[in-house]
Amino acid sequence: MKLFGRREKPIGEILSGGESAIANKEVEGLSLGQIVRRRFFRHRAAVVALFLLSSVIVFVMTALDTKIGPLRIPGWWRWTVEDIPDLRFEDCPGGTIGCPTLSVNPFSGFGMGTHPFGQDDIGRDYFALVMNGARRSLMIMFIIGFLAGFIGVVVGSISGFYGGIVDAVLMRLVDFIQTVPIIIIAAVIGKTAGRVGPVFLALFLGLLTWTGLARLIRAQFLSLRELEFVDAARVAGASNARIAFKHILPNAVGQIIVTVTLIMAGAILTETALSYLGFGVVAPDVSLGLLISEYQTSFTTRPWLFWWPGFFIITIALCVNFIGDGLRDAFDPRQRRRITKKDRLQAKLQVKAGA
Amino acid sequence: MLGYIMRRIGVSIMILFGSSFLVYNLAAYASDPLAELRLSADDGARQQIIALTRDLQLDVPPPLRYFLWLKGILGVFVGKLNMGMTREASSVQEELAFAIPVTLRLVLAASVTALLVGIAFGIISALRQYSRFDYAMTFMAFVLFSLPIFWVAVLLKEFMAIQFNNFLSEPSIPLKWMFIFSCFTGVFWSSLFGGERKRFWSVFAGAFATGFVILWAIDFTDWYLHPGLGPILIGFLSVGIAIGVASISTGLTNIPARNAALTMAGLAVLWYYPAQWLFNNHGSYLVILLMLALIVGTGFICASLFSKVDRGPIARTAIITGVISGFLLFVDRIMQSWQPYFITDAVNGRPVPTYGQRKDQLVTADFWLNNLDIIMHLILPTFALILISLAGWIRYSRGALLEVLNQDYIRTARAKGLNERTVITRHALRNMMLPLSSLFVGEFVGLIGGAVITERVFGWSGMGTLGIRAINSYDLNLLMGVTLLLSTLVVLGNLLADLVYSALDPRIRLVKE
Amino acid sequence: MGTEKVLEISDFNVDFWVDGVWYPAVIDMNLGLAAGKVTAIVGESGSGKSTTALGLMSLLASNARINGSVKVKGEEMVNAKSAILHRFRGREVAYIFQEPMTALNPLYTIGFQIIETLRNHFDMGPKEAQKRALELITMVDIPEPEKSINKYPHQLSGGQRQRAMIAQALACDPALLIADEPTTALDVTVQAEILDLMRGLKDKLNSAILLITHDMGVVADMADEILVMKDGITVEHGTADQIFNKPRHPYTQQLLSAVPKLGSSLKRVLAFRQDAKPAPVLKLTDVTIEYPKRGRVPAFTAVKNFSLEIYPGEIVGLVGESGSGKTTVGRAAIGLLPVKAGSIEIVGKEIAGANQAQLSAIRRHTGIVFQDPASSLNPRLPIGESIGEPIYLAKIAKGTDLARMVEELLDQVELPRSYRNRYPHELSGGQRQRVGIARALALTPDLLIADEPTSALDVSVQSRFLDLLTELQEKLKFACLFISHDLAVVDILAHRIAVMQNGLLVETGDRDDILLRPQNDYTRRLISAVPVPDPAEQRIRREARLAAKK
Repeated sequence: MKLFGRREKPIGEILSGGESAIANKEVEGLSLGQIVRRRFFRHRAAVVALFLLSSVIVFVMTALDTKIGPLRIPGWWRWTVEDIPDLRFEDCPGGTIGCPTLSVNPFSGFGMGTHPFGQDDIGRDYFALVMNGARRSLMIMFIIGFLAGFIGVVVGSISGFYGGIVDAVLMRLVDFIQTVPIIIIAAVIGKTAGRVGPVFLALFLGLLTWTGLARLIRAQFLSLRELEFVDAARVAGASNARIAFKHILPNAVGQIIVTVTLIMAGAILTETALSYLGFGVVAPDVSLGLLISEYQTSFTTRPWLFWWPGFFIITIALCVNFIGDGLRDAFDPRQRRRITKKDRLQAKLQVKAGA
Repeated sequence: MLGYIMRRIGVSIMILFGSSFLVYNLAAYASDPLAELRLSADDGARQQIIALTRDLQLDVPPPLRYFLWLKGILGVFVGKLNMGMTREASSVQEELAFAIPVTLRLVLAASVTALLVGIAFGIISALRQYSRFDYAMTFMAFVLFSLPIFWVAVLLKEFMAIQFNNFLSEPSIPLKWMFIFSCFTGVFWSSLFGGERKRFWSVFAGAFATGFVILWAIDFTDWYLHPGLGPILIGFLSVGIAIGVASISTGLTNIPARNAALTMAGLAVLWYYPAQWLFNNHGSYLVILLMLALIVGTGFICASLFSKVDRGPIARTAIITGVISGFLLFVDRIMQSWQPYFITDAVNGRPVPTYGQRKDQLVTADFWLNNLDIIMHLILPTFALILISLAGWIRYSRGALLEVLNQDYIRTARAKGLNERTVITRHALRNMMLPLSSLFVGEFVGLIGGAVITERVFGWSGMGTLGIRAINSYDLNLLMGVTLLLSTLVVLGNLLADLVYSALDPRIRLVKE
Repeated sequence: MGTEKVLEISDFNVDFWVDGVWYPAVIDMNLGLAAGKVTAIVGESGSGKSTTALGLMSLLASNARINGSVKVKGEEMVNAKSAILHRFRGREVAYIFQEPMTALNPLYTIGFQIIETLRNHFDMGPKEAQKRALELITMVDIPEPEKSINKYPHQLSGGQRQRAMIAQALACDPALLIADEPTTALDVTVQAEILDLMRGLKDKLNSAILLITHDMGVVADMADEILVMKDGITVEHGTADQIFNKPRHPYTQQLLSAVPKLGSSLKRVLAFRQDAKPAPVLKLTDVTIEYPKRGRVPAFTAVKNFSLEIYPGEIVGLVGESGSGKTTVGRAAIGLLPVKAGSIEIVGKEIAGANQAQLSAIRRHTGIVFQDPASSLNPRLPIGESIGEPIYLAKIAKGTDLARMVEELLDQVELPRSYRNRYPHELSGGQRQRVGIARALALTPDLLIADEPTSALDVSVQSRFLDLLTELQEKLKFACLFISHDLAVVDILAHRIAVMQNGLLVETGDRDDILLRPQNDYTRRLISAVPVPDPAEQRIRREARLAAKK
């Protein structure tokens, strides 16, 4: 009858419920999980980031030996942080020493060489150092993410669910912590905790970074508990715990996941910054921030000592940020498919073809 | 309203009280100021331990010692502030008095610039949702979010200071770079304006040509050694600014506003030589303030000359034009000091510094040289701070504006027949500012954290450096001084944000009154 | 020429671009509208009526495509230059939107927003515009115009806001007024006033009105011509008289028959005789409910000295306008709100001051259906789990037994058994409300509280829902407190009616007593304000109402 692309379905079915129903068309017959997954995979940058981050994690985690208790899983890289091989100086530019052997030139062929990222002052393999640092940073990032996520969810839920005096007390605590610049208080603790070990550092940092999440979860609880399905559950005889965990919390899951990813992206920057200042991971342990701090002065002569740790920090943080953005879009109920120029063009072509 | 402010201040003091108690005990238990001395078996060390214990009252348990410290702090209400002694037996408040202006200069310059630029980019990004510009901004924001500031700072030092100084010793822009840079300019402007293919390429061509000509002119005239704008360039720029400001502020169809803005631009050019004389002979902040007052006054007079009604928006347009044109005069004068600055012994041909907040060797009474010195030292750290806080503003303002543009009242405004400019500037932007005003504090706190690191990289002796020293030497009083000050800044910022919010939103304002 | 058309729509089409396909929202619409006339576009949600309203002046989102021709005073609006659109919008074609709270900018006074419209289209000084705005505000009967002109939208009541919206729309004496559900968000008494106002102004200014609404009563009150839309297609177009009295298209007939009419349903027979009353299922005695002080917001008494009894097998309709406290009563009756004074007994057990365990026990005798189908079901739970939750928590059944019971309940509310595994977002509003009933009836309660269960539904869905509820009630014989703002709906269901105003019970009695012989002034006003879907009768009622006013 008309020029419209395809109209297999009766219009009535498409239109019932107005424009929103048109938009809902694309989600019919899917469970919520499927919708979220589908929306996430539509966010191209997030998918690339997810792939990249998982590759980096696998790459970094398998490169060096892993010790779990008495067990020792050998890594695939030939050097360790403790090895001190001879400093290489042949074919280094401008009389420098310990230059990288990594080759990505497509003509002369890809090759790692003996020291792909070069060597440090005393000859330690920089690849091993960076891998070790990245591993520390990743581990700290995940610990902070989980711990801050856990505390934030617990405090936020309790505060939002019960309200009243409990809420007032908990929110004042949040105020107290948020008033002090995180870098200062983290440095105070890092100065002590860093010496004890990176795991302790991560735990302590986790104890400081949950406040934003707690506020968000509280706000979510406050608005969700006013919804009618919560009253319905209460009338049905549900206990407080059941209402909080079965009815409210699952509806806040999107927000939680998104915020935790953002906390993790922030955490890796905080950790590296602290290590850079000397309040985080301290020598002889290795961290990406520490490496940059140690070798910033040799930037002019041997820039690779500066580039590689920075590259790993940025890659990890960027990937986590993009995954967070993809998740935010995926969980956002208002999210509709964006209408891009390309879509319009296709539509125009279709109209023409039909005519 | 006053009652509300008083109540808020009361709450703020309580929060400061709680947070300082928390930090004091945390820091006191986490660190032992005598640890290193205890390790040494030397007799002098034992003497020092005794002295320090007495001076810093270390024999009192931390929760109680906190109240001794608090007593000194509360002295502020009776004019006898006592923030205690550092380990070196100097007064904490004196140390802070030196450090505060340094850090504030850095943080304020960075936060204001980042705020303005970030919101501007965010707005354009939202208005051109899903365009090339929007995607580029989003990507850039994510990259900036992921940059460690210390890493950026080191990079800036290398490329914007060392390499640029090297460049200045034998300045000449290679044709290749002119070309690349102009291409970049072209892409930026054409994606900013958006539109169909034809428009894209015409804007690109225009911007490319302009960029290329400017670069070539700079290279040809050795402008980087003798920079300056001069009355003619200022004239052209001012007219451009007048038209730009008028078209955003009131629309070019508002003839009185357009004329008032152009008059202000003309006045700026006429003022060029008198201003030069004033600047040369009486260069001081007072003169600049007076000139600012003059511009505002002239703006009002202009508005009343050109129209009998609606003087408000016309005066606004005239004053904004006047202030920006006046700023050009100021920039021009600063630029004129470049050559003398360049050849001073202290600078010695390497004008972009990598270290410190002032050149100590530069001893001069010249107002302009001093200011140029301050500005040169500010550039790199400010730039580093702007980079990290820009991303937030781009994302927030983009999101806030998109949210507002979906509201019903925007549809109503369009249905009234208002043009797009009025819909955006009058109806959307003000509503967009509401959520942003509460975010300012968070960004400010982030910047302070960034400032601590920036100061370290660029060797400024501000609050951050003081804080690091305090932590490294387990100096509790000094640490508390720094955190209390920073916390106070945060609390004040919160208060300010609340006041801005209620000034913007009648729903809050009228309830509180 | 004489009757020059103000608006001429021909072959008007709107499509939305979604997920790679154009979905038509308005198809081949044709319409002409002369000055001083009112044409109503009626249809249920999703019929494309609001899309039409916005599409006429190109106010739709960017994923819409408009084809055909829309001529306002002979000037083409489809694909017109933006300068032309800006000139015509507000000046020749003015809009009134549904929700005045969100349609007015919260940051500017209503005076400013009216003046802005005036000065945008006329070369007018601020003083002159201020004077004209004051005239307009006076014209639309906003009290204390001098003061109100400087008020912000949030300082006005819903009705006043809509008046301000009308004042703004009429600022430039537009040739055409497009009113998109202008009274949907308002109470009936306010609705009647706004409609009177619009009619009066139309006659005064000789504007044409395009009225978009789903409410057949409003249509009967206002329209000269009616256009019935379904799924974007114009199914019928004719004069008001023809559409109401001789509808030709089956959809129109169905739509009209679904509209509840005040005083048209048969009296429902009670299960017991008036002189031999059993013990009441729900007994409220002198109940006072207060929302406690929160921060700076002072305590607010929502319900005062409220007494009501509901007997087994009886449906009591509780009517009142927004803010009357009717929902508060419903929520308190099931123990969701604390009672400040008085007593509430359910099947003889006191719930005021009962502890959690006692409450749970009492609640087994009750069920509640909520108003908002969008939020009354947990979006993360499958329908079956939502329905089965009361049974599971009461430890009546588990596992396969529970599944069987859930299936029976789904059968009862006439939903397919397979819906057990679906999520709320996959169901329509009407279906979700059925799920709501199923959950409320899971424990076969003695008392069902229905809190405006149909207010978010289309008339045809509402009619089916009410039929279902009646059927179930006759079968299961539960008592029901049916809370509604819509007298016509209560009329269909209730045996008895209670009327509330400002937290007080103003009148209670048998359905017919209340509807036919109301004693209280407020009840009378309420009944006379309800629009009846019959133009002739509506005219009589209107005149009576205006006479009573004078």
